[in-house]
Amino acid sequence: MRILVCVKRVPMTGGRIVLTGDAQEIDTAHLGFTISPHEECGVEEAVRLVEAHGGDSVVLTLGPPEAEEQLRDALALGIERAIHLVTGEEWDGQATAEAITEAIRSEEAASGRFDLVFFGNESADAGGFQVGIRVAQALERPCATGLKGIAVEGSDVRCEQEVPGGRDVYRLALPAVVTVKEGLNLPHYPSVPAKLRAQRQPVETVTPTPREARLRKVRLLVPESSGKRAEVLGAGAGAAERVVEVLREIGVA
Amino acid sequence: MLVVSGWLFARRALFLVRLVRAGKPVERFDDMPGRVRSEAVVVLGQKKLLQRVVPGLMHAFIFWGFLVLFPTILLALTWAADPDPGLGASSPLGWLERQGWFALLVDVFVVLVLVGVVTALVIRKVQRPERFRGSHLREADLILGLIAAVVTTLLLWHASLIAAGLNPWPAGWSPISNALSTLLPGGHAADVLERVFVWAHVLVVLSFLVYLPRSKHLHIAVAAINVFFSRTRARGRLEPLRFDAEDEADLRFGAGTVSDLTWKQALDAMSCTECGRCQDACPAWATGKALSPKLLVMGLRDQLFAEGPAVLDGGEATPLVPTAVTDDVVWDCVTCGACVQECPVSIEHVDHIVDLRRHLVMVDARFPSEAEPMLRDVERASNPWGKPQAERAAWAEGLDVRVLQPGSRSPELLYWVGCAGSFDERARDGVVATARLLRRAGFDVGILGPREACTGDPARRMGNEYLFQTLAEQNIRTLDEAGARTIVTSCPHCFNTLANEYPDFGGRYDVVHHTELLAELVQDGRLSPSSGDADITYHDSCYLARHNDVVAAPRELVSRIGRPLEMARSGRRTFCCGAGGAHMWMEERASPINEERVRQAAETGADTLAVACPFCTLMLDDGVRQSGRDLRVADVATLLDESVSRRDARAETTAS
Amino acid sequence: MSILVVVERQVHGVDELSLQALAFGRALESGADVHALAVGESGEALAHVLGAHGVSQVHVAEHEAFASYAPQAVARAAVELIGRLSPVVVLAAGTERGNEVLARVAALLDRPFAANCVESTGGEPLRVVRQRWGGSLLEEAELPLEPALVTVAPHVVAASPVNGHPAAIETFRPALSQEELALRVVEHVQTEVEGVSLADAKVVVSGGRGTGSPEGFAVIEELAGLLGGAVGCSRAVTMAGWRPHTDQVGQTGTKIAPDVYIACGISGATQHMAGCKGAKRILAINTDPEASIMASADYAVVGDLHEVVPAVSAALRKARGT
Repeated sequence: MRILVCVKRVPMTGGRIVLTGDAQEIDTAHLGFTISPHEECGVEEAVRLVEAHGGDSVVLTLGPPEAEEQLRDALALGIERAIHLVTGEEWDGQATAEAITEAIRSEEAASGRFDLVFFGNESADAGGFQVGIRVAQALERPCATGLKGIAVEGSDVRCEQEVPGGRDVYRLALPAVVTVKEGLNLPHYPSVPAKLRAQRQPVETVTPTPREARLRKVRLLVPESSGKRAEVLGAGAGAAERVVEVLREIGVA
Repeated sequence: MLVVSGWLFARRALFLVRLVRAGKPVERFDDMPGRVRSEAVVVLGQKKLLQRVVPGLMHAFIFWGFLVLFPTILLALTWAADPDPGLGASSPLGWLERQGWFALLVDVFVVLVLVGVVTALVIRKVQRPERFRGSHLREADLILGLIAAVVTTLLLWHASLIAAGLNPWPAGWSPISNALSTLLPGGHAADVLERVFVWAHVLVVLSFLVYLPRSKHLHIAVAAINVFFSRTRARGRLEPLRFDAEDEADLRFGAGTVSDLTWKQALDAMSCTECGRCQDACPAWATGKALSPKLLVMGLRDQLFAEGPAVLDGGEATPLVPTAVTDDVVWDCVTCGACVQECPVSIEHVDHIVDLRRHLVMVDARFPSEAEPMLRDVERASNPWGKPQAERAAWAEGLDVRVLQPGSRSPELLYWVGCAGSFDERARDGVVATARLLRRAGFDVGILGPREACTGDPARRMGNEYLFQTLAEQNIRTLDEAGARTIVTSCPHCFNTLANEYPDFGGRYDVVHHTELLAELVQDGRLSPSSGDADITYHDSCYLARHNDVVAAPRELVSRIGRPLEMARSGRRTFCCGAGGAHMWMEERASPINEERVRQAAETGADTLAVACPFCTLMLDDGVRQSGRDLRVADVATLLDESVSRRDARAETTAS
Repeated sequence: MSILVVVERQVHGVDELSLQALAFGRALESGADVHALAVGESGEALAHVLGAHGVSQVHVAEHEAFASYAPQAVARAAVELIGRLSPVVVLAAGTERGNEVLARVAALLDRPFAANCVESTGGEPLRVVRQRWGGSLLEEAELPLEPALVTVAPHVVAASPVNGHPAAIETFRPALSQEELALRVVEHVQTEVEGVSLADAKVVVSGGRGTGSPEGFAVIEELAGLLGGAVGCSRAVTMAGWRPHTDQVGQTGTKIAPDVYIACGISGATQHMAGCKGAKRILAINTDPEASIMASADYAVVGDLHEVVPAVSAALRKARGT
């Protein structure tokens, strides 16, 4: 099978979010970066599916030059090829989906159709909830979202979505697009030989034509903290009685 | 017969040599003078064995006896072949057999060897020390028996030579043989006895020769060589792996199978005498865990010998973990180095364990899952707790410490704080105290703040050498750009890595531990503590005392601050707190090492447990809480800061 | 001028979050005609509830496809309706399904879509404030009207009933393609939940790195049991393999809204707080008085959870006389 996984580079924000002076970006000066958590599970799933069913896999990202790091992380997990759509600042969901669709069309024309295309349900930072769905629509392929379980069965894929009380199951005919959530699997720890090989692999770069944002970001703002300062009920085991008092006041004890 | 036994010996010896030569390369040819000195002190001088006096002397007698009596073996062989060899006085052997003083030495050492053997038997059979648990005791008994037989037959032969009047040396010089000869019949019977005893002696020696390379007695050949090739550089330094080979087949990711072992590791495995001193010293074993350094090396040795023939023929080897060594054993280790310190034949157990970990982590991704977040955080967030680097200098607010930016003037002193000190509320106290004291002493102190990434020590000890090297290279760039010359650090792990391991990657700095610097300042009068009446017991951090010999400085400080009380295991013989070897992030099975150490501290009757390491602070404080004892755990710097402030306060009250 | 709200149904009526979206929409374009789209069976009750929340006309899409949840079919029905009504804004609740349906509508119409809005100041183009990072960061953004596609973040406005008549009902049968019909729930797998589910629990007791091991959760489970609550955990815990992902509270885990959230040994990273900020009260138990969570918590106990949590359980038992 041929599988494509799309990933996004996101910062690891920690305890507080700090913005740049112009309030256009997060100040990432001392932050580490990673593949957005839902998508990391997508990468892992793609690798496992190819291991089980044979075939090949490709990882793609639309992002700044530094996003190459995330592509190489995916290569180290076992993806075979990487495509980098290099951009300057962040693109909105619509533009991202358009550029990715173009890249997929071009890649499929050259090397064959992807049976499955993976997206994260939403990216950790922008949280737009739309890129996978838009790409699926443009490619005219069925799309199931927010998946925590995937099984390829012949020319179908059985998709499981978590809902209150259990899981809803969809059955999609391949080729299909899926958006997945963390919890789909537990990504394995990459081996160093795989990392070294990933370092050496060439990455295909494309510079997509920039488009005007239709959902236009005006600025970012950090939500006002409630100004709360937690009321310290005590220290150590000695605070237990006061805690029980409070729980009773709230009405849960 | 000589030919047969010689051939049997040689065949086995050749196999062993081939095994060693098949080992992967490792740099052990530096510092020749140091190596020769090691030989003299450790092998000839039996220094490490004598760390325990009685067993040490027991072995020394036998060992020195073997050295002294070795020519008698050659003589016996000559005499056995020819009843009247007529060795000329000019030939070396011939000259030696005529010397009265040599005959005296022989007699004396035969007795010493027998005393040694008897002592050994008493230790093994009557005392039955714990360290022999798991060792092959039958084998040891047989070896002791053979040793006794060798010297007894030698003595009897000498006695029979005297009885037969064939002794080339003046009989009076060998009182014991002489006395024994009077018990033997003279005349023709003596001649027969002489033949009997010389042949008996030769037979025993030759069978010993054949048995030797197939038993742990092999150590008599290998140990001396192993000691010669032992590490000469800092004990705390691990040897780097290289990741830049063109061909992946040339890369070595630690020890996965016996084929991956370096030749030094193969020698290590062959040198083990199963004495168990390492086992006795191991904090993991002492608290009921699976790890015994002795059993580890024996396991590796057994697999090496079992698979050796197949591997030398080009066959595949099976993974060392879990066949020779189980996963538990590999991960129980806290890399404290107590085993390496005890080992009389210079086996480097910690290197073995780290090499096994390297393969497990870097290739197999087979390691305790609770450590995975730590590895991922070290890689992506630059510290093992995944806390935001932007807040790394938060502790320093208001302390008048410079947070160095790119392009800042280089500092007089670069204070390397470490991850624990920066982010953990308990470890923070010591760091704040250190900064205050250094400022009080007038130093220009700079810290890297958010640009200080983890030194990589936990990753390296876990076995992720690749991640460690990435961090090392990054930190060295930062340090060099900042113009750091002198670095002071509170954390012995950072200290060890910066001082001993970063030079391998081009980072060369003068690194000093905060207790060393503070002790100097106190000595020079730049800081004036007031003496107090707290009963303080100081816990030596393994990475400070055992790996790096910093033992005196913290004690100087403690003695100026309060009343020092020593634990039994202190200085270089200290007992680990349990956090080393990345154990800060791993679950501990069986009973906790930190509680055991706290118990040892409480035994001294002290009310304060002074430490010089943030990990020790956390582990021992946890241990105190878990066991409900009444001990205050505090960094030496915190105590010193309080003491200095007390003096100030007193000065003020007296002034006012 | 009209707005359209796609509402989700509950067993007996309309989902609370859809009613919130209605309130948001009404405030946004006061004076506009409020239309609602629902799928499945029509009914008086529906008209009543929606009318009470300001809807003038309910459009019920009836089709066999809606016997089980079929998100693409719902989107197609919405698109048809949008074609007829030309609303200036289309809204839905920012639930999993709401975001999914509106994203599909956006894809069908090739129009921009702003998910999880917390505020809007109207205008043309429409100015909204939406959630990033699960709500830990906000973004002011603009998108063109007619229609502007927007989902409303849960619990940023309250549902506000008005004195309205029951809404008029129009049923229609959307024209659905084979593919739209095929994308439907074909099976439901019930999971065995021991006790209370995390998402619904009134009390959640969570453990973080401070628990130290899977066994460390025993004290957490004990307290949760005593309070009739659910056990949660931080992402570090699931990454370490100590608890299953279903226990994870956070931006990429489960978002909870209990009456009280007791966070033990959890430092309070933004992605975790994004999952628990819906809690009415937060009690943090942590050895570090300066931990990030302290700025979001209502109450704190400074101490080791291994000492504090069992003590609280014991005090509870004592207070109950058991």
